[in-house]
Parts: sequence; C-alpha cells; structure tokens
Amino acid sequence: MKQPDDQIARWAEYVRTNPDWRKFHNDFINAQFQMHEQFLQRLLKTPGGREKIIELYGIKNLKGYEGLLGPAPAMRS
Amino acid sequence: MRLLVIRGTSDRNLLCEFCTTFTQIVEQHCKYIVVSGFLAIASGRSRSTEDIDMIIDRLSLDRFTALHHALILQGFTCMQSDSPKEIYEYLDELASVRYTWKDRPLPEMELKFSKDALDDYQLKTRRKIPFTGLDVWFSSVDVNVAFKEEYLKSEKDLADARHLRLIFKDVLDEGEIRKIKEMIRVYRLS
Repeated sequence: MKQPDDQIARWAEYVRTNPDWRKFHNDFINAQFQMHEQFLQRLLKTPGGREKIIELYGIKNLKGYEGLLGPAPAMRS
Repeated sequence: MRLLVIRGTSDRNLLCEFCTTFTQIVEQHCKYIVVSGFLAIASGRSRSTEDIDMIIDRLSLDRFTALHHALILQGFTCMQSDSPKEIYEYLDELASVRYTWKDRPLPEMELKFSKDALDDYQLKTRRKIPFTGLDVWFSSVDVNVAFKEEYLKSEKDLADARHLRLIFKDVLDEGEIRKIKEMIRVYRLS
C-alpha cells in the first residue's frame, strides 16, 4: 500500500526535530523481529514446519541452523 | 530446540546491532559499503526490513576465506553453504550470498562483490553518516537517492528517497545525484 507523501513528510519532520524518535523507531523494529521469532516457534510445532522454514528462507546450509531446526533427519537417532 | 534470545534494546534496535557487529568484522578484511534501504531505515524511515545489502571489494579466495572464518567465529553463518570455497563461487559469479546470526534466519546480510565501475564509484565515495548514530560505511546519501529514483523505483523505494531528501535536505548535492543517475543509465539500464 502506498504511503501518502504528507505522512512521510510529517514523520521526517518529527525525526529531524525530535531526538526521541529513536526509541519509537527501535521499539517498532524490535517488535517486528520478536513477532518473527514467535512465528518461527509456532511454525516449528506444526506438521512439516521444519521443512517449511527451510524452504521459506532457502536454507541450504542446515548445519548453520541446527539450534533452530534440530539435526537433519538422517542424523537423528 | 532452544528458544532463541531476542536482542535489540530501546537504545539500539536489532537491525542496527546486527549491521554494526557484521561490519566491524568485514572492516578488518576489506572495503565495504552498506547500500539500498538500510540507510533510510537507520535515518528514521518508518519501516523495517529483513535484509541489509552490502557490497565489498572483489577478494581472492584466500582473503574471502579469512573473512568467512572471522564471521563464523563471531556467531554468523551463511545460508547457502558452510564451505568458503563454495560461497566464493557464488560471489565470483556475481551472485549474492546471505549471512545471518547462527540459528536465526533473520535478519540477513546480503553480500556481493563489486561488479562494475558504478559499484566501484560507490565504494570510492562511501560515507559514515553521523545522523544514523552508527559507525558504518554507507554509500552516500546522493547515491541512495539516485538509485531509488532512477533504478529501483518501487513505491517503497520512492518513499525511501523522499524520506532521505527531507532528512538530508541541507547536504544533498543535486549535481552529484544527476551524475549518478547518468551512470546508472550507462551501467545498469543500457
């Protein structure tokens, strides 16, 4: 969805003139990643969730994500 | 499977923390620039992103291997492979590769070699931008505006350019922006 020009201008002016913009901005960005982590944990609990994550992010180096995905199925006892 | 720890604070968000940690390592090995959307975001643009784009000097396999090992040692991993030789083959073919924190698919650092005179020019004219509060080399604000207005042109990119124009209106060089747009037409659009 296109963000209106006046909205961009109002926020830019706020950023230029109010040093406290960083707190709102940081909270906004951190929240996005927090939601993403929660999403991953929920997806992992669903059938085929592990494989969906691998496909979603195009992960080829599974070893680099064993802490999230667990060991590759062939390596499981 | 362990629960991953969310980093980022009110003082510094997770994207900035990721970018700063990554660039401090790269800085020890080669010249780099952060390009595309992250400058707008680090300058207060009201959006987030999943990836940060970086261009580095073309390196030999040996130098890249040293960089890769340093990144691994500091807790990063490459999505495509854990073999530096294989990752180097991607880069050498002018494709990009993605590094993330180990066990966390996001955020990503999308890394590629400089591929032409325009990338070299961006590296040559790189800047640290105090307004961002980050000790990071960026492509200049003029370069960012020119790319977004002349080459990328999506609604998101045009909004980024508008934000940058407003935030940095006192330092923008319209002559330089025109010059870079001409270079974009020569190297990317012809």
